[in-house]
Amino acid sequence: MSAFAGAIQILGGLVLAPLLPGTIQALKARLQGRRGPSPLQPYRELRRLWGKTLVDPQPTTVVYRLAPCLVVAAMILALFLVPIGGLSPDWPLGNDAIVLVGLLALARFALAAAGWDTGSGFALMGSSRDLTLSVFAEALLVLALILAAAPAGSTDLVAMSAAASGSAIWGEPAHWCAGAAFALVLLVETGRQPIDNPDTHLELTMIHEGPLLEYAGRDLALLEWSAAARHWIFLLVAAELYLPHWGGFGVQLACLLTGVAVLCAALAFTETAQAKMRILRAPALLTGGSLLALVGLISRLVG
Amino acid sequence: MGLTLLVTGALAPVVPRGLRAAIALQAAGIALLGTGGALVLFGAPCFGAGFRSGLDPGLGVDGLTGFFLATLALVAVPAAIYARGYLAGLPRSRALVGLFGLFLLALVGVVMARDPSSFLACWELITLVPAAAILVRRSDADVRHAVFVYLAVTHLGGAGVWICVLALAHYGAMSEPAVLAAQGAGAQALIIVAAIVGFGTKAGLMPLHSWLPRAHPVAPSHVSALMSGVMIKVALYGLIRVLFEWAAPAPLWAGLVVLGLGLLSALAGVLYALSQQDLKRLLAFSSIENVGIVALGLGASILFASQGEGTWAAIAFAAALLHILNHAVFKALLFLVAGAFERAVGSLELDRIGGLLPRMPWTGGAFLVGSMAIAGVPPLNGFASEWLTLQALIHVALDPSPGLGLAGALATAGLAATAALAVFCFVKVVGLVLLGTPRRAAVEAAVEAPAGIWAAPVFLAGCCIALGAAPGLLVPSLIKLAPQPQSLTAEPGLSIPGTGSLPSPWLLVGLLALTGVLWRLRGSRRAAPTPAWACGRRIEPSLSWSSAGFTKPLRLVLESVLRPRREIEAVRHRGRLQSIRYRGEVPHLFDTLLYGPVQRGALASALVARRLQSGSVRAYAAYLLALLLALLVLARIGAIG
Repeated sequence: MSAFAGAIQILGGLVLAPLLPGTIQALKARLQGRRGPSPLQPYRELRRLWGKTLVDPQPTTVVYRLAPCLVVAAMILALFLVPIGGLSPDWPLGNDAIVLVGLLALARFALAAAGWDTGSGFALMGSSRDLTLSVFAEALLVLALILAAAPAGSTDLVAMSAAASGSAIWGEPAHWCAGAAFALVLLVETGRQPIDNPDTHLELTMIHEGPLLEYAGRDLALLEWSAAARHWIFLLVAAELYLPHWGGFGVQLACLLTGVAVLCAALAFTETAQAKMRILRAPALLTGGSLLALVGLISRLVG
Repeated sequence: MGLTLLVTGALAPVVPRGLRAAIALQAAGIALLGTGGALVLFGAPCFGAGFRSGLDPGLGVDGLTGFFLATLALVAVPAAIYARGYLAGLPRSRALVGLFGLFLLALVGVVMARDPSSFLACWELITLVPAAAILVRRSDADVRHAVFVYLAVTHLGGAGVWICVLALAHYGAMSEPAVLAAQGAGAQALIIVAAIVGFGTKAGLMPLHSWLPRAHPVAPSHVSALMSGVMIKVALYGLIRVLFEWAAPAPLWAGLVVLGLGLLSALAGVLYALSQQDLKRLLAFSSIENVGIVALGLGASILFASQGEGTWAAIAFAAALLHILNHAVFKALLFLVAGAFERAVGSLELDRIGGLLPRMPWTGGAFLVGSMAIAGVPPLNGFASEWLTLQALIHVALDPSPGLGLAGALATAGLAATAALAVFCFVKVVGLVLLGTPRRAAVEAAVEAPAGIWAAPVFLAGCCIALGAAPGLLVPSLIKLAPQPQSLTAEPGLSIPGTGSLPSPWLLVGLLALTGVLWRLRGSRRAAPTPAWACGRRIEPSLSWSSAGFTKPLRLVLESVLRPRREIEAVRHRGRLQSIRYRGEVPHLFDTLLYGPVQRGALASALVARRLQSGSVRAYAAYLLALLLALLVLARIGAIG
């Protein structure tokens, strides 16, 4: 069973990740009354980009050229950490939640450094916003993870997933708070509205698109895949830790699929219903999420 | 043996033309001492005297001392090698070499001292010697003021160290910690508060840090490396001895105080580091941040111990020690490279460097590794110790008692935010210093420093990678130093129950292998060279992004906390705009809101005191009489015996 879970972890992550943003876009188009692109559109984009020439802005160093590879390497390692259906084979990489946070920070560092290397104002604008939000998002993420780690007594994602399975956990207010807090993290890290708008290439509003602006060809394909992998990782963590799941591996897998589908639909719905908020107001929202997580923690401690 | 070499090395510069030999002697001496310390740390028996409360001097090495000696050697040997190249051609290098040796001796003395008098003597020396080294190098008004503030603050705060050590000696608690428990909570509280104030000042814990960002940037780079890398850690050594040995077991409130001060230092340190314009000053503020992270680990350890959770108390303790070592390595690296950059390009104003990586590949590469390590990204050493500290804090948050749980959760969230801010801060530094286009002519013409200078930072960068890959070989020895020692099997990664484990060697291998594979996949197809896109304009150095621009979103978000100031002045002549002058800064609120009133109060009271000193003999006779009468009255009512 765990070998099967491992195969989904890696192959599923590598192959299926672009399906998630594609599905969200397609659903969103439907909700907005458009026909929209097919869910497979990201694959077509990747294939097109893979065949294109690279672009080398002058003067740049090896930092700029290495960054996409490093970002994708960090994302692939992160794929190994997230369990599927509560199972993960005994990779030598462990399953620690904080290591996952660290790998995401590495990706952020590499991309921002590449932005400085080009000196492009758009890249720097995007990454400075991304880094600003990450200060609040990381605090919130860690608080949400504490709430999920509390029943398990461990930050091992497999143990956390096991502790969150079943229905007893839903009697605790802490779990509801944790889910709400993680939903906010999900919005920031996947770069969806109301925090960021993935459709825009208007420099004044973009966050995650900014650092990608100079890249072309295979570099851009790698970075586009890593953005999709970010969706995959966070949706999986959300479904494994904060959405209902129970039973053996088969049931868990079904729960996971349903959970990810529901989350995609929820993201598409949020994007349709909610306008993008001012960037400077987003930290207040995230701090509110942190307070909610603290309330959850208190309820757990005194309850 | 090592001590003799070090003494000779410190004295040798007295002989003319003996400089290189002196440096070699110093390096050899400290390396020997460090090896000895490492041997004791890894299980060799302790040697030398044990702690005593009397006046007869004694030196000795136990596990904790061994750890600090090894840390000192790991930083001091590269710093000494670096000094050979760095000091060549500088004026007064003889005095600097001598003072460097003396500084090393004093640092060794503090960690090896086994009696109160030699401890205090060496303690004073580690304050005074760097001041002398700073003044030997430069003595303009700014530097004199910085040194004055440094001496004033460290001595005022340092009084705490005297109170604490003398009180410990008085009770005989240095040799026999159990007697303090018999003295009741009052004596213990006095000693702990004095220790936190005294050692905290020297360690740069906020709000007692005011001297640190002033003194560290003006010292010669290899001395700065020792000051930031080791000196402030030696202060933490004192704090650890008091909290975990002499006045142990520390009460719960002490843990909360240390945790709170650590959180304040970590967050405020990195926030102010972000808004600095000068590289060395930025590094000094980041030292405050890292001392804060160490204090978070120490505080967590006290909290666990007071709850009777021995395992996690030991892990948190080991996390603090590991971060001490890691920070010593990467901060020394960054200061040494900053010195090399200063030699190559002059001023270290962040907005006016740029593009040094292709020009100085070795020093620049080491700087990149050091920056990534201090930003705490895997797989480097900064991540390993931050991971361990974060795990300790998470387990404080999982504690069943509500107060501790909440404190732990707040500290965990604070440390996570600190880590994100450190990424922000050091990606900015890397970008402004190493990447992009050079921003002035001197930088354009910069060339790589000689091998004698880049060898030391490159070695330290190697240490960053090695310590990041295999922290698990060290942590079991550190856990054994905790008051309630635990055992952990030594393996390169860290697998600790209650965590998902940190398989650091595999992270390193995985990242390298995957990046290599992807690099091959990306192909070596010729890329089209083009200028970066700036809406059709060329990117000019004068238009390139500044430090203030990059941090603007954060400054706007935290406006109410940081209270930035900016002035824009437009000069018009006959209705036409001639020039715009812009000035923006983030004032250091601790200076304006905390130290300012204290300083004004001190000056005002000095004026009052001056009125008493009229210079008239009759007045002084009257003071004497008044004192005598007061004493008599006090004796009469029995207030003094």
